[in-house]
Amino acid sequence: MRVFYVIFSKELRSFFSSPLAYVVIGLFGLLNAWLFVSIVTVMSMSVTPRSLVYNLFDSGWFWMGFCFLFPVLTMRLFAEEQKMGTLETLLTAPVRTIQVVMAKYFATVTVYLAALVPVFLLFLLFRGVTGQAEAFHGGALFGAAVGLILIGMANIALGVLCSAMTSNQIIAAMVCFAVIMLHYFLGFFQYFGGMPGSLMTAGLGYVSNVDHMRSFSEGLIDSRPFIYYLSFTALLLAMTHHVLEFRRWRV
Amino acid sequence: MIHVENLTKRYAGKTAIDRVTFDVGRGEIVGFLGPNGAGKSTTLKILTCYLSATAGSAKIAGHDIFTDSVRARQHIGYMPENVPLYTDMRVAEYLNFRARLKGLRGRDATLGAEEAMETTGLSGVSSKMIASLSKGYRQRVGLADALVNKPDLLILDEPTNGLDPNQIRQVRELIKQLGDRHTILISTHILSEVEVTCGRVIIINHGHIKASDTPQNLIRRLGAAGKTVIEVKTAPNLVLEELEKMPGVESASHVMSRGDWTVVEIATEPNIDLREALHELMIDRKWPLRELTRRTASLEDAFVGLTKSLDEERAESH
Repeated sequence: MRVFYVIFSKELRSFFSSPLAYVVIGLFGLLNAWLFVSIVTVMSMSVTPRSLVYNLFDSGWFWMGFCFLFPVLTMRLFAEEQKMGTLETLLTAPVRTIQVVMAKYFATVTVYLAALVPVFLLFLLFRGVTGQAEAFHGGALFGAAVGLILIGMANIALGVLCSAMTSNQIIAAMVCFAVIMLHYFLGFFQYFGGMPGSLMTAGLGYVSNVDHMRSFSEGLIDSRPFIYYLSFTALLLAMTHHVLEFRRWRV
Repeated sequence: MIHVENLTKRYAGKTAIDRVTFDVGRGEIVGFLGPNGAGKSTTLKILTCYLSATAGSAKIAGHDIFTDSVRARQHIGYMPENVPLYTDMRVAEYLNFRARLKGLRGRDATLGAEEAMETTGLSGVSSKMIASLSKGYRQRVGLADALVNKPDLLILDEPTNGLDPNQIRQVRELIKQLGDRHTILISTHILSEVEVTCGRVIIINHGHIKASDTPQNLIRRLGAAGKTVIEVKTAPNLVLEELEKMPGVESASHVMSRGDWTVVEIATEPNIDLREALHELMIDRKWPLRELTRRTASLEDAFVGLTKSLDEERAESH
Protein backbone atom coordinates (compact mmCIF):
# COMPACT_ATOMS: atom_id res chain seq x y z
CA MET A 1 0.00 0.00 0.00
CA ARG A 2 2.87 2.35 0.79
CA VAL A 3 4.56 1.67 -2.53
CA PHE A 4 1.21 2.25 -4.20
CA TYR A 5 0.89 5.60 -2.49
CA VAL A 6 4.46 6.66 -3.37
CA ILE A 7 3.97 5.95 -7.07
CA PHE A 8 0.42 7.27 -7.07
CA SER A 9 1.45 10.64 -5.70
CA LYS A 10 4.42 10.84 -8.05
CA GLU A 11 2.18 10.14 -11.04
CA LEU A 12 -0.37 12.66 -9.90
CA ARG A 13 2.38 15.25 -9.48
CA SER A 14 3.69 14.59 -12.95
CA PHE A 15 0.18 15.13 -14.36
CA PHE A 16 -0.14 18.46 -12.60
CA SER A 17 3.45 19.64 -12.99
CA SER A 18 3.10 19.46 -16.75
CA PRO A 19 0.47 21.34 -18.77
CA LEU A 20 -1.25 18.05 -19.60
CA ALA A 21 -3.78 17.93 -16.77
CA TYR A 22 -4.69 21.62 -17.11
CA VAL A 23 -5.09 21.44 -20.87
CA VAL A 24 -7.24 18.32 -20.66
CA ILE A 25 -9.41 19.51 -17.79
CA GLY A 26 -9.70 23.04 -19.21
CA LEU A 27 -10.56 22.10 -22.77
CA PHE A 28 -12.91 19.30 -21.79
CA GLY A 29 -14.69 21.71 -19.46
CA LEU A 30 -14.85 24.39 -22.13
CA LEU A 31 -16.16 22.01 -24.76
CA ASN A 32 -18.91 20.82 -22.47
CA ALA A 33 -19.79 24.31 -21.30
CA TRP A 34 -20.34 25.30 -24.91
CA LEU A 35 -22.35 22.15 -25.52
CA PHE A 36 -24.36 22.76 -22.36
CA VAL A 37 -25.30 26.26 -23.49
CA SER A 38 -26.28 25.00 -26.93
CA ILE A 39 -28.45 22.28 -25.51
CA VAL A 40 -30.15 24.66 -23.09
CA THR A 41 -30.81 27.00 -26.03
CA VAL A 42 -32.30 24.23 -28.15
CA MET A 43 -34.40 22.95 -25.26
CA SER A 44 -35.79 26.43 -24.60
CA MET A 45 -37.02 26.64 -28.19
CA SER A 46 -38.74 23.28 -28.50
CA VAL A 47 -40.46 20.76 -26.32
CA THR A 48 -38.50 17.67 -25.40
CA PRO A 49 -39.51 14.79 -23.20
CA ARG A 50 -35.90 14.32 -22.10
CA SER A 51 -34.05 16.03 -19.29
CA LEU A 52 -31.05 18.29 -19.73
CA VAL A 53 -28.80 15.60 -18.26
CA TYR A 54 -30.05 13.05 -20.75
CA ASN A 55 -29.73 15.37 -23.71
CA LEU A 56 -26.19 16.45 -22.86
CA PHE A 57 -24.78 12.98 -22.28
CA ASP A 58 -26.65 11.51 -25.23
CA SER A 59 -25.23 14.08 -27.62
CA GLY A 60 -22.73 12.88 -30.22
CA TRP A 61 -20.68 16.00 -29.54
CA PHE A 62 -20.26 15.01 -25.95
CA TRP A 63 -19.04 11.55 -26.92
CA MET A 64 -16.53 12.95 -29.35
CA GLY A 65 -14.74 14.97 -26.71
CA PHE A 66 -15.22 12.20 -24.19
CA CYS A 67 -13.59 9.54 -26.40
CA PHE A 68 -10.58 11.80 -26.96
CA LEU A 69 -10.04 12.20 -23.26
CA PHE A 70 -8.74 8.69 -22.61
CA PRO A 71 -5.96 8.28 -25.18
CA VAL A 72 -4.62 11.69 -24.20
CA LEU A 73 -4.63 10.91 -20.48
CA THR A 74 -3.18 7.42 -20.73
CA MET A 75 -0.78 7.33 -23.69
CA ARG A 76 2.15 8.59 -21.59
CA LEU A 77 1.87 6.21 -18.65
CA PHE A 78 4.02 3.26 -19.71
CA ALA A 79 5.06 4.17 -23.26
CA GLU A 80 7.14 7.09 -22.05
CA GLU A 81 8.79 5.02 -19.34
CA GLN A 82 9.71 2.38 -21.89
CA LYS A 83 11.08 4.93 -24.32
CA MET A 84 13.13 6.73 -21.67
CA GLY A 85 14.25 3.47 -20.08
CA THR A 86 12.91 4.52 -16.69
CA LEU A 87 10.73 1.43 -16.62
CA GLU A 88 13.93 -0.43 -15.84
CA THR A 89 14.74 1.70 -12.80
CA LEU A 90 11.13 1.56 -11.69
CA LEU A 91 10.73 -2.20 -11.95
CA THR A 92 14.13 -3.05 -10.50
CA ALA A 93 13.19 -1.20 -7.33
CA PRO A 94 11.63 -3.49 -4.72
CA VAL A 95 8.08 -2.99 -5.97
CA ARG A 96 5.48 -5.38 -7.31
CA THR A 97 4.39 -4.83 -10.89
CA ILE A 98 0.76 -4.83 -9.83
CA GLN A 99 1.45 -1.93 -7.46
CA VAL A 100 2.91 0.06 -10.35
CA VAL A 101 -0.06 -0.72 -12.60
CA MET A 102 -2.64 0.16 -9.95
CA ALA A 103 -0.87 3.36 -8.89
CA LYS A 104 -0.66 4.66 -12.44
CA TYR A 105 -4.22 3.60 -13.12
CA PHE A 106 -5.71 5.31 -10.10
CA ALA A 107 -3.66 8.46 -10.61
CA THR A 108 -5.21 8.73 -14.08
CA VAL A 109 -8.66 7.99 -12.70
CA THR A 110 -8.14 10.86 -10.27
CA VAL A 111 -7.29 13.28 -13.08
CA TYR A 112 -10.30 12.01 -15.00
CA LEU A 113 -12.56 12.69 -12.02
CA ALA A 114 -11.11 16.18 -11.81
CA ALA A 115 -12.01 16.66 -15.48
CA LEU A 116 -15.62 15.68 -14.75
CA VAL A 117 -16.02 18.20 -11.94
CA PRO A 118 -16.44 21.31 -14.17
CA VAL A 119 -19.05 19.47 -16.24
CA PHE A 120 -21.17 18.68 -13.19
CA LEU A 121 -20.67 22.18 -11.82
CA LEU A 122 -22.52 23.43 -14.91
CA PHE A 123 -25.67 21.67 -13.75
CA LEU A 124 -25.31 22.97 -10.23
CA LEU A 125 -24.87 26.52 -11.52
CA PHE A 126 -27.90 26.23 -13.78
CA ARG A 127 -30.53 27.47 -11.37
CA GLY A 128 -28.45 30.31 -9.99
CA VAL A 129 -27.63 31.64 -13.42
CA THR A 130 -30.96 31.16 -15.23
CA GLY A 131 -33.32 31.65 -12.29
CA GLN A 132 -35.41 28.77 -13.64
CA ALA A 133 -36.24 25.40 -12.23
CA GLU A 134 -33.71 22.73 -13.18
CA ALA A 135 -34.64 20.86 -16.31
CA PHE A 136 -33.55 17.66 -14.60
CA HIS A 137 -33.70 15.97 -11.21
CA GLY A 138 -30.92 15.06 -8.83
CA GLY A 139 -31.25 11.33 -9.38
CA ALA A 140 -30.52 11.73 -13.06
CA LEU A 141 -27.44 13.78 -12.29
CA PHE A 142 -26.24 11.22 -9.78
CA GLY A 143 -26.90 8.37 -12.20
CA ALA A 144 -25.01 10.15 -14.95
CA ALA A 145 -22.04 10.69 -12.64
CA VAL A 146 -21.99 7.00 -11.72
CA GLY A 147 -22.25 6.03 -15.39
CA LEU A 148 -19.43 8.31 -16.47
CA ILE A 149 -17.19 7.07 -13.68
CA LEU A 150 -17.80 3.44 -14.64
CA ILE A 151 -17.28 3.99 -18.36
CA GLY A 152 -14.23 6.13 -17.63
CA MET A 153 -12.69 3.46 -15.42
CA ALA A 154 -12.98 0.87 -18.17
CA ASN A 155 -11.65 3.21 -20.84
CA ILE A 156 -8.69 4.26 -18.71
CA ALA A 157 -7.84 0.62 -18.11
CA LEU A 158 -7.88 0.15 -21.88
CA GLY A 159 -5.57 3.13 -22.33
CA VAL A 160 -3.19 1.79 -19.69
CA LEU A 161 -3.01 -1.53 -21.53
CA CYS A 162 -2.34 0.19 -24.88
CA SER A 163 0.41 2.25 -23.31
CA ALA A 164 2.05 -0.81 -21.78
CA MET A 165 2.20 -2.56 -25.14
CA THR A 166 4.37 -0.02 -26.96
CA SER A 167 7.12 2.49 -26.36
CA ASN A 168 5.52 4.88 -28.82
CA GLN A 169 2.97 7.23 -27.30
CA ILE A 170 1.30 8.03 -30.61
CA ILE A 171 0.68 4.36 -31.31
CA ALA A 172 -0.66 3.88 -27.80
CA ALA A 173 -3.03 6.81 -28.26
CA MET A 174 -4.21 5.74 -31.71
CA VAL A 175 -4.90 2.14 -30.70
CA CYS A 176 -6.73 3.27 -27.58
CA PHE A 177 -8.78 5.80 -29.53
CA ALA A 178 -9.62 3.31 -32.28
CA VAL A 179 -10.82 0.70 -29.81
CA ILE A 180 -12.92 3.22 -27.91
CA MET A 181 -14.49 4.46 -31.17
CA LEU A 182 -15.10 0.90 -32.32
CA HIS A 183 -16.80 0.16 -29.04
CA TYR A 184 -18.87 3.32 -29.44
CA PHE A 185 -20.01 2.40 -32.95
CA LEU A 186 -20.70 -1.22 -32.03
CA GLY A 187 -23.29 0.13 -29.64
CA PHE A 188 -25.22 1.61 -32.57
CA PHE A 189 -25.09 -1.56 -34.63
CA GLN A 190 -28.24 -2.87 -32.96
CA TYR A 191 -30.23 -0.01 -34.56
CA PHE A 192 -28.91 -0.44 -38.07
CA GLY A 193 -28.03 -4.03 -38.78
CA GLY A 194 -28.91 -7.43 -37.48
CA MET A 195 -32.28 -8.88 -36.73
CA PRO A 196 -34.16 -7.26 -33.91
CA GLY A 197 -34.22 -9.61 -30.94
CA SER A 198 -31.40 -11.83 -32.18
CA LEU A 199 -28.61 -12.81 -29.81
CA MET A 200 -26.10 -10.62 -31.61
CA THR A 201 -28.19 -7.48 -31.46
CA ALA A 202 -28.92 -8.11 -27.82
CA GLY A 203 -25.23 -8.68 -27.13
CA LEU A 204 -24.19 -5.54 -28.94
CA GLY A 205 -26.86 -3.61 -27.10
CA TYR A 206 -25.44 -4.92 -23.88
CA VAL A 207 -21.89 -3.67 -24.57
CA SER A 208 -23.10 -0.27 -25.77
CA ASN A 209 -21.75 2.61 -23.72
CA VAL A 210 -24.40 4.93 -25.11
CA ASP A 211 -27.25 2.64 -24.07
CA HIS A 212 -25.90 2.25 -20.56
CA MET A 213 -25.38 5.97 -20.35
CA ARG A 214 -29.01 6.57 -21.37
CA SER A 215 -30.34 4.50 -18.54
CA PHE A 216 -27.91 6.05 -16.08
CA SER A 217 -28.98 9.53 -17.25
CA GLU A 218 -32.54 8.63 -16.41
CA GLY A 219 -31.41 7.93 -12.90
CA LEU A 220 -31.66 4.18 -13.32
CA ILE A 221 -28.85 2.44 -11.50
CA ASP A 222 -28.73 -1.15 -12.64
CA SER A 223 -26.27 -3.70 -11.25
CA ARG A 224 -25.50 -5.19 -14.68
CA PRO A 225 -23.45 -2.27 -16.03
CA PHE A 226 -21.52 -2.28 -12.76
CA ILE A 227 -20.53 -5.88 -13.26
CA TYR A 228 -19.83 -5.27 -16.94
CA TYR A 229 -17.58 -2.25 -16.52
CA LEU A 230 -15.80 -3.38 -13.39
CA SER A 231 -15.03 -6.84 -14.76
CA PHE A 232 -13.88 -5.26 -18.03
CA THR A 233 -11.60 -2.96 -16.05
CA ALA A 234 -10.21 -5.82 -14.00
CA LEU A 235 -9.55 -7.87 -17.13
CA LEU A 236 -7.71 -5.03 -18.86
CA LEU A 237 -5.60 -4.27 -15.79
CA ALA A 238 -4.74 -7.95 -15.40
CA MET A 239 -3.68 -7.99 -19.05
CA THR A 240 -1.51 -4.92 -18.46
CA HIS A 241 0.12 -6.68 -15.56
CA HIS A 242 0.87 -9.69 -17.74
CA VAL A 243 2.24 -7.55 -20.57
CA LEU A 244 4.69 -5.95 -18.14
CA GLU A 245 5.55 -9.22 -16.41
CA PHE A 246 6.10 -10.98 -19.69
CA ARG A 247 9.79 -10.02 -19.68
CA ARG A 248 10.16 -12.03 -16.51
CA TRP A 249 8.52 -15.15 -17.80
CA ARG A 250 10.77 -18.10 -18.38
CA VAL A 251 10.31 -18.69 -22.07
CA MET B 1 26.42 -11.83 -1.99
CA ILE B 2 25.76 -12.92 -5.55
CA HIS B 3 25.55 -16.56 -6.45
CA VAL B 4 24.89 -17.37 -10.09
CA GLU B 5 24.54 -20.87 -11.41
CA ASN B 6 24.25 -21.94 -15.05
CA LEU B 7 22.34 -18.85 -16.03
CA THR B 8 21.22 -19.02 -19.65
CA LYS B 9 19.22 -16.53 -21.68
CA ARG B 10 18.01 -17.16 -25.20
CA TYR B 11 16.29 -14.50 -27.28
CA ALA B 12 14.44 -15.78 -30.31
CA GLY B 13 16.98 -18.42 -31.21
CA LYS B 14 20.02 -16.36 -30.24
CA THR B 15 21.83 -17.26 -27.05
CA ALA B 16 22.80 -14.09 -25.18
CA ILE B 17 24.42 -15.83 -22.24
CA ASP B 18 25.18 -19.49 -21.92
CA ARG B 19 25.52 -21.35 -18.61
CA VAL B 20 27.08 -18.44 -16.79
CA THR B 21 28.28 -19.33 -13.30
CA PHE B 22 30.04 -17.06 -10.83
CA ASP B 23 30.06 -15.86 -7.25
CA VAL B 24 30.69 -12.48 -5.74
CA GLY B 25 31.55 -12.37 -2.07
CA ARG B 26 30.56 -9.71 0.44
CA GLY B 27 32.74 -6.61 0.24
CA GLU B 28 34.31 -7.42 -3.11
CA ILE B 29 34.60 -4.99 -6.01
CA VAL B 30 34.25 -7.07 -9.12
CA GLY B 31 34.67 -5.90 -12.68
CA PHE B 32 32.44 -7.54 -15.24
CA LEU B 33 34.33 -7.24 -18.44
CA GLY B 34 33.63 -8.00 -22.04
CA PRO B 35 33.41 -6.54 -25.53
CA ASN B 36 30.16 -4.89 -26.60
CA GLY B 37 27.43 -7.45 -27.08
CA ALA B 38 29.13 -10.07 -24.93
CA GLY B 39 26.14 -10.44 -22.61
CA LYS B 40 27.16 -8.14 -19.78
CA SER B 41 24.01 -6.05 -19.68
CA THR B 42 21.80 -9.09 -20.14
CA THR B 43 23.38 -10.74 -17.11
CA LEU B 44 22.96 -7.61 -15.01
CA LYS B 45 19.36 -7.20 -16.11
CA ILE B 46 18.63 -10.73 -15.03
CA LEU B 47 20.36 -10.23 -11.69
CA THR B 48 18.31 -7.11 -11.03
CA CYS B 49 15.12 -9.02 -11.88
CA TYR B 50 14.28 -6.94 -14.94
CA LEU B 51 14.54 -9.91 -17.30
CA SER B 52 14.08 -13.56 -16.66
CA ALA B 53 16.59 -16.24 -17.49
CA THR B 54 15.73 -19.13 -19.79
CA ALA B 55 17.45 -21.54 -17.42
CA GLY B 56 19.65 -21.57 -14.38
CA SER B 57 19.33 -19.80 -11.06
CA ALA B 58 20.72 -16.86 -9.18
CA LYS B 59 20.61 -15.65 -5.60
CA ILE B 60 21.17 -12.18 -4.19
CA ALA B 61 21.98 -12.13 -0.47
CA GLY B 62 20.41 -15.58 -0.21
CA HIS B 63 17.15 -14.63 -1.94
CA ASP B 64 16.31 -16.36 -5.18
CA ILE B 65 15.77 -13.72 -7.87
CA PHE B 66 12.90 -15.64 -9.45
CA THR B 67 10.87 -16.83 -6.49
CA ASP B 68 11.76 -14.09 -3.99
CA SER B 69 12.36 -11.23 -6.37
CA VAL B 70 11.15 -8.29 -4.27
CA ARG B 71 13.31 -9.25 -1.31
CA ALA B 72 16.30 -9.81 -3.57
CA ARG B 73 15.78 -6.38 -5.09
CA GLN B 74 15.79 -4.76 -1.64
CA HIS B 75 19.50 -5.56 -1.45
CA ILE B 76 20.40 -4.08 -4.81
CA GLY B 77 21.22 -0.57 -5.89
CA TYR B 78 21.18 -0.68 -9.67
CA MET B 79 22.36 1.89 -12.16
CA PRO B 80 21.37 0.81 -15.68
CA GLU B 81 23.34 1.62 -18.79
CA ASN B 82 22.68 5.16 -20.09
CA VAL B 83 21.15 6.12 -16.73
CA PRO B 84 17.44 6.58 -17.40
CA LEU B 85 15.95 9.33 -15.21
CA TYR B 86 12.69 11.28 -14.95
CA THR B 87 13.84 14.47 -16.61
CA ASP B 88 10.82 16.44 -15.44
CA MET B 89 11.75 16.10 -11.78
CA ARG B 90 14.20 18.02 -9.65
CA VAL B 91 17.27 16.20 -8.33
CA ALA B 92 16.27 16.20 -4.67
CA GLU B 93 12.67 15.42 -5.51
CA TYR B 94 13.71 12.47 -7.67
CA LEU B 95 16.04 11.01 -5.06
CA ASN B 96 13.44 11.46 -2.37
CA PHE B 97 10.92 9.61 -4.56
CA ARG B 98 13.40 6.82 -5.19
CA ALA B 99 14.23 6.56 -1.50
CA ARG B 100 10.58 6.22 -0.57
CA LEU B 101 10.04 3.74 -3.38
CA LYS B 102 12.83 1.64 -1.91
CA GLY B 103 11.14 1.59 1.45
CA LEU B 104 12.55 4.54 3.41
CA ARG B 105 9.92 6.60 5.20
CA GLY B 106 9.43 10.33 5.69
CA ARG B 107 12.50 11.80 7.36
CA ASP B 108 14.68 8.78 6.59
CA ALA B 109 13.96 9.26 2.90
CA THR B 110 14.95 12.93 3.04
CA LEU B 111 18.11 12.11 4.97
CA GLY B 112 18.96 9.24 2.64
CA ALA B 113 18.56 11.50 -0.39
CA GLU B 114 20.67 14.24 1.23
CA GLU B 115 23.41 11.82 2.14
CA ALA B 116 23.47 10.30 -1.36
CA MET B 117 23.67 13.79 -2.86
CA GLU B 118 26.56 14.64 -0.58
CA THR B 119 28.49 11.47 -1.43
CA THR B 120 28.07 12.04 -5.15
CA GLY B 121 28.66 15.79 -5.06
CA LEU B 122 25.16 16.78 -6.08
CA SER B 123 24.31 19.10 -3.17
CA GLY B 124 24.89 22.18 -5.33
CA VAL B 125 22.33 21.15 -7.95
CA SER B 126 19.69 19.59 -5.68
CA SER B 127 16.94 21.95 -6.83
CA LYS B 128 17.75 21.81 -10.54
CA MET B 129 15.59 20.00 -13.06
CA ILE B 130 17.23 16.77 -14.17
CA ALA B 131 16.55 17.78 -17.80
CA SER B 132 18.95 20.71 -17.41
CA LEU B 133 21.84 18.65 -16.03
CA SER B 134 24.93 17.69 -18.00
CA LYS B 135 25.75 14.08 -18.75
CA GLY B 136 28.25 13.92 -15.90
CA TYR B 137 25.74 15.15 -13.37
CA ARG B 138 23.06 12.80 -14.63
CA GLN B 139 25.48 9.95 -14.16
CA ARG B 140 25.91 11.06 -10.57
CA VAL B 141 22.16 11.23 -10.06
CA GLY B 142 21.99 7.64 -11.26
CA LEU B 143 24.70 6.67 -8.83
CA ALA B 144 23.03 8.59 -6.00
CA ASP B 145 19.82 6.71 -6.79
CA ALA B 146 21.65 3.39 -6.53
CA LEU B 147 23.05 4.45 -3.14
CA VAL B 148 20.02 6.10 -1.67
CA ASN B 149 18.82 3.29 0.57
CA LYS B 150 22.35 2.08 1.36
CA PRO B 151 21.95 -1.33 -0.27
CA ASP B 152 24.50 -4.08 0.38
CA LEU B 153 25.13 -4.54 -3.30
CA LEU B 154 25.69 -2.00 -6.06
CA ILE B 155 25.30 -3.13 -9.65
CA LEU B 156 26.60 -0.49 -12.03
CA ASP B 157 26.28 -0.96 -15.77
CA GLU B 158 29.03 1.03 -17.49
CA PRO B 159 29.11 3.83 -14.92
CA THR B 160 31.69 5.93 -16.75
CA ASN B 161 30.17 5.59 -20.20
CA GLY B 162 30.24 8.90 -22.06
CA LEU B 163 32.06 10.90 -19.42
CA ASP B 164 35.11 13.08 -19.99
CA PRO B 165 38.47 11.99 -18.53
CA ASN B 166 38.14 14.15 -15.41
CA GLN B 167 34.68 12.88 -14.68
CA ILE B 168 35.81 9.31 -15.27
CA ARG B 169 38.50 9.82 -12.65
CA GLN B 170 35.99 11.27 -10.21
CA VAL B 171 33.53 8.42 -10.67
CA ARG B 172 36.36 5.91 -10.25
CA GLU B 173 37.44 7.54 -7.00
CA LEU B 174 33.87 7.48 -5.83
CA ILE B 175 33.51 3.80 -6.64
CA LYS B 176 36.69 3.02 -4.72
CA GLN B 177 35.34 4.90 -1.71
CA LEU B 178 32.03 3.09 -1.93
CA GLY B 179 33.89 -0.19 -1.93
CA ASP B 180 34.44 0.21 1.82
CA ARG B 181 30.77 -0.10 2.53
CA HIS B 182 29.23 -1.95 -0.41
CA THR B 183 29.78 -4.99 -2.53
CA ILE B 184 30.11 -3.71 -6.08
CA LEU B 185 29.67 -5.33 -9.47
CA ILE B 186 30.66 -3.01 -12.32
CA SER B 187 30.28 -3.85 -15.94
CA THR B 188 32.54 -2.08 -18.34
CA HIS B 189 34.55 -2.44 -21.49
CA ILE B 190 37.11 0.10 -20.33
CA LEU B 191 40.01 -1.94 -19.08
CA SER B 192 42.02 0.68 -17.26
CA GLU B 193 38.96 1.25 -15.12
CA VAL B 194 38.93 -2.33 -13.93
CA GLU B 195 42.67 -2.43 -13.36
CA VAL B 196 42.41 0.58 -11.09
CA THR B 197 39.26 -0.14 -9.15
CA CYS B 198 38.49 -3.83 -9.06
CA GLY B 199 39.85 -6.56 -6.86
CA ARG B 200 38.63 -9.22 -9.23
CA VAL B 201 37.67 -9.43 -12.87
CA ILE B 202 35.17 -11.65 -14.60
CA ILE B 203 35.65 -11.74 -18.34
CA ILE B 204 32.71 -12.68 -20.50
CA ASN B 205 32.70 -13.12 -24.25
CA HIS B 206 30.00 -14.48 -26.55
CA GLY B 207 27.91 -15.25 -23.51
CA HIS B 208 30.50 -17.46 -21.81
CA ILE B 209 32.54 -16.71 -18.73
CA LYS B 210 36.13 -16.85 -19.88
CA ALA B 211 38.08 -16.02 -16.76
CA SER B 212 37.58 -14.89 -13.19
CA ASP B 213 40.62 -13.73 -11.26
CA THR B 214 42.52 -10.69 -9.98
CA PRO B 215 43.77 -8.40 -12.74
CA GLN B 216 47.40 -9.26 -11.87
CA ASN B 217 46.81 -12.98 -12.00
CA LEU B 218 44.93 -12.68 -15.23
CA ILE B 219 47.78 -10.88 -16.89
CA ARG B 220 50.19 -13.49 -15.65
CA ARG B 221 48.02 -16.45 -16.38
CA LEU B 222 47.04 -15.36 -19.82
CA GLY B 223 50.70 -14.87 -20.58
CA ALA B 224 50.40 -11.53 -22.23
CA ALA B 225 53.81 -10.55 -23.52
CA GLY B 226 55.60 -7.48 -22.23
CA LYS B 227 57.53 -5.11 -24.44
CA THR B 228 60.95 -3.50 -24.15
CA VAL B 229 62.13 -0.69 -26.38
CA ILE B 230 65.79 0.19 -26.92
CA GLU B 231 67.47 2.88 -28.96
CA VAL B 232 71.02 1.98 -29.80
CA LYS B 233 73.77 3.40 -32.03
CA THR B 234 74.50 0.61 -34.48
CA ALA B 235 73.15 -0.96 -37.65
CA PRO B 236 69.69 -2.55 -37.36
CA ASN B 237 70.73 -5.95 -38.71
CA LEU B 238 73.54 -6.25 -36.17
CA VAL B 239 71.39 -5.58 -33.15
CA LEU B 240 68.52 -7.74 -34.38
CA GLU B 241 70.88 -10.63 -34.93
CA GLU B 242 72.12 -10.38 -31.34
CA LEU B 243 68.64 -10.07 -29.90
CA GLU B 244 67.35 -13.15 -31.69
CA LYS B 245 69.92 -15.18 -29.86
CA MET B 246 69.09 -13.78 -26.44
CA PRO B 247 67.02 -16.04 -24.11
CA GLY B 248 63.61 -14.67 -23.11
CA VAL B 249 63.12 -12.77 -26.35
CA GLU B 250 60.05 -13.74 -28.29
CA SER B 251 60.64 -11.45 -31.21
CA ALA B 252 62.49 -8.27 -32.02
CA SER B 253 61.51 -5.77 -34.66
CA HIS B 254 63.13 -2.72 -36.11
CA VAL B 255 60.84 0.25 -35.54
CA MET B 256 62.81 3.07 -37.14
CA SER B 257 66.21 4.64 -37.56
CA ARG B 258 67.17 8.17 -36.51
CA GLY B 259 70.47 8.88 -38.19
CA ASP B 260 72.91 6.39 -36.71
CA TRP B 261 70.47 5.38 -34.04
CA THR B 262 68.23 2.35 -34.33
CA VAL B 263 64.98 1.88 -32.40
CA VAL B 264 64.07 -1.76 -31.74
CA GLU B 265 61.01 -3.14 -30.03
CA ILE B 266 61.46 -6.44 -28.25
CA ALA B 267 58.54 -8.63 -27.27
CA THR B 268 59.48 -10.62 -24.22
CA GLU B 269 58.04 -13.75 -22.74
CA PRO B 270 55.62 -13.06 -19.88
CA ASN B 271 57.09 -11.71 -16.67
CA ILE B 272 60.61 -11.54 -17.91
CA ASP B 273 62.71 -8.45 -17.43
CA LEU B 274 65.45 -8.18 -20.05
CA ARG B 275 66.84 -4.80 -19.08
CA GLU B 276 69.88 -6.04 -17.25
CA ALA B 277 70.81 -8.50 -19.97
CA LEU B 278 70.40 -5.80 -22.58
CA HIS B 279 72.64 -3.48 -20.63
CA GLU B 280 75.35 -6.15 -20.45
CA LEU B 281 75.03 -6.79 -24.14
CA MET B 282 75.52 -3.11 -24.98
CA ILE B 283 78.62 -2.87 -22.80
CA ASP B 284 79.99 -6.03 -24.31
CA ARG B 285 79.55 -4.74 -27.85
CA LYS B 286 80.40 -1.14 -26.96
CA TRP B 287 77.18 0.10 -28.54
CA PRO B 288 76.04 3.41 -27.12
CA LEU B 289 72.53 3.15 -25.67
CA ARG B 290 70.24 6.13 -25.09
CA GLU B 291 66.87 4.56 -24.34
CA LEU B 292 65.84 1.45 -22.49
CA THR B 293 62.17 1.23 -21.57
CA ARG B 294 60.10 -1.68 -20.37
CA ARG B 295 56.33 -1.73 -20.58
CA THR B 296 54.67 -4.49 -18.59
CA ALA B 297 51.65 -6.19 -20.08
CA SER B 298 48.37 -4.59 -19.09
CA LEU B 299 45.00 -6.11 -18.60
CA GLU B 300 44.24 -4.74 -22.03
CA ASP B 301 46.81 -7.01 -23.59
CA ALA B 302 45.43 -9.96 -21.67
CA PHE B 303 41.90 -9.07 -22.68
CA VAL B 304 42.72 -8.58 -26.32
CA GLY B 305 44.67 -11.82 -26.35
CA LEU B 306 41.85 -13.71 -24.73
CA THR B 307 38.90 -12.39 -26.70
CA LYS B 308 40.74 -12.36 -30.00
CA SER B 309 42.03 -15.90 -29.76
CA LEU B 310 38.48 -16.96 -28.99
CA ASP B 311 37.14 -15.21 -32.03
CA GLU B 312 39.79 -16.90 -34.13
CA GLU B 313 38.93 -20.29 -32.66
CA ARG B 314 35.33 -19.60 -33.51
CA ALA B 315 36.17 -18.62 -37.06
CA GLU B 316 38.11 -21.82 -37.49
CA SER B 317 35.42 -24.05 -36.09
CA HIS B 318 32.84 -22.63 -38.54
